Amino acid sequence: MSSLLGYLGLSLLLFVIGAIGVCIRRNAIVVFMCIEMMLNAVNLSFVTFSKLLGNLDGQIAVFFVMVIAAAEAAVGLAIIISVFRNVASVETSDAAELKW
Amino acid sequence: MTFMGFVLAVCAVASGIGVIGFRNPLYSAFSLVANLMTMAGLYALLDAHFLAVSQVVVYAGAIMVLVLFVLMLLNLKVEGGAKLGLMRAGLALTAGVLILVTGLKPIMEHFSSVPAITLRENATKTVGDVASIGEQLFGRYVVQFELSSLVLLIGIVGAVMLAKRKHVQLAPRSVFGEAE
Amino acid sequence: MFGLFVLIVKVALVMNLALMLASLCTWLERKGSALIQDRVGANRAGAFIESDKWFLKPFLPAVRMMGWLGVINTLVCDSLKGIAKEDFIPEGTSKFLHAVAPIIAVLPIMLAFGVLPFAPDFTIFGHHIQAQVARIDAGLLFVLAMGSVAVYGVAIAGWTGNNKFSLLGSLRAAAQMISYELPMGLVFVALIIVFGSLDIYTIVQKQGELLWGVVPQWGIVMQPVGFVILLLAGMAETKRGPFDLPEAESELAAGYFTEYSGMKFLLFWLGEFAEIALFAALLALLFFGGWHIPWVTLPEGVWWAALLGHFVLMAKIVFFCVLQIVIRWTLPRFRYDHLMNLGWKMLLPLSLLNLIGTAVLKVAL
Repeated sequence: MSSLLGYLGLSLLLFVIGAIGVCIRRNAIVVFMCIEMMLNAVNLSFVTFSKLLGNLDGQIAVFFVMVIAAAEAAVGLAIIISVFRNVASVETSDAAELKW
Repeated sequence: MTFMGFVLAVCAVASGIGVIGFRNPLYSAFSLVANLMTMAGLYALLDAHFLAVSQVVVYAGAIMVLVLFVLMLLNLKVEGGAKLGLMRAGLALTAGVLILVTGLKPIMEHFSSVPAITLRENATKTVGDVASIGEQLFGRYVVQFELSSLVLLIGIVGAVMLAKRKHVQLAPRSVFGEAE
Repeated sequence: MFGLFVLIVKVALVMNLALMLASLCTWLERKGSALIQDRVGANRAGAFIESDKWFLKPFLPAVRMMGWLGVINTLVCDSLKGIAKEDFIPEGTSKFLHAVAPIIAVLPIMLAFGVLPFAPDFTIFGHHIQAQVARIDAGLLFVLAMGSVAVYGVAIAGWTGNNKFSLLGSLRAAAQMISYELPMGLVFVALIIVFGSLDIYTIVQKQGELLWGVVPQWGIVMQPVGFVILLLAGMAETKRGPFDLPEAESELAAGYFTEYSGMKFLLFWLGEFAEIALFAALLALLFFGGWHIPWVTLPEGVWWAALLGHFVLMAKIVFFCVLQIVIRWTLPRFRYDHLMNLGWKMLLPLSLLNLIGTAVLKVAL
């Protein structure tokens, strides 16, 4: 058994925690944060595999995930703010209408 | 996993549970910051030095500050208690357990069969320092790198467009009423 | 085992250095502001001390001198006052976060000191010693990262204050710190292009060389525009000088630490002065050649050369501390929109142009 197995297990556990959070939380910002956590869990396994396989491709992938996460944060929070302006709430169940 | 790694892992799981457990979204955000910091520590343990530092810069320094800003500006009330239905919680837990099982199975099957020695030998070879990551980014992945800058640009423009308040053009009005 | 011992000693020394510089800045601020405003300043506590004890006699003149200079007042009396004061916690807020915020505000700054080299490497008793706690190859990036983490202390402090002044102050502080981080980072990138490394030690060593055999290759020579931008951005980053809007006392009481008292307040104070010292050290290391004396080459790896280099570096750091304090007490405060305009419309485009110019020159030459 490699000592790196623990990291993979941790990555999986964090992914699951994030997924449960996405399911049970209603606050859109918290849901967004849970998604970030899932992305991070996947990043951790990327880095672990990069170390395991002895090349840097995994770390490059993590770098790109970070870039996308930054762009996603900007756009996602802008969407949440504009929803908040219209329905005065960030609860996911309150923004159920398709048009207003 | 070294002792340091174990401590960081425990912190990561605890703060991860904190993110979904706290009623107040602000506390969730602070737990997520702690979680991201422990992740940076784990990256450093895995010899991904550049990623560890950029994790702190990008996630803790930029993304979470943005989230914190939004939370403070919206000044949200604490999420109402007892709304979480048993049905929903049960479904979420089931989904979580299913993901856990499907993920755990290949890890156990695949990696328990690989001899530890070969893994260790490989493991000492890569150190993600700035120079080697830079060579990869500006060598093999240069097109993707440039494209990612384009994605960021689009993200900025999109965020500004979405969050911009539409200015209501007030009709010029005379101070003395409607007469004119 | 020996390595661990050396590491612990190094951490203790660097912490000591940071705190000494911070307290020196505190004293300079007290006496310097008095000098600038044509006041006398702190000069009473301990200035008239008397004692009949024979073992205290020889120290009395020195103590009286320190009292006259205000050292005892700033370093002993103020901290005793801080310890003795009531620890006030506002109602309806998280006690935990309220207590943690000052620590979070100070910790990253202390951590950032860990990657700064304070003398060239030397060999003593057959051991090769690096005068630096951690030589990580992304040192400059680490300093930037710690600067961005420091935002949290401010944000949490403002939020736990549970009043409008605190929240407004912390929002201002966070916006200001984020805005001025961008030009700062871009100046760092230009420096990296010039010196070809993110490791601060390598950057300093490169500055010992001569440019075309004439001028020392200091950062100020290679990056004059970058220096001006970094000076402005750094002053805004420390939330002092003309950029002290987050704590503008005429508008916001004391900004984000309105609700803090006693030692917690002093921790913020300490963090602020440690940040001044950190920034002064960065300027000295990145732009003014660190431990190098122009046109003088000291032998490498000898302990007395390292010691001399250390003193040269400390002199430069103290100079920049004084410079920041003089600027802070000379210039009036910015207006908020002026601050944002300066950051986003002046410094950011300027630093981008500087970066492009540097890159073009690097390729062309």
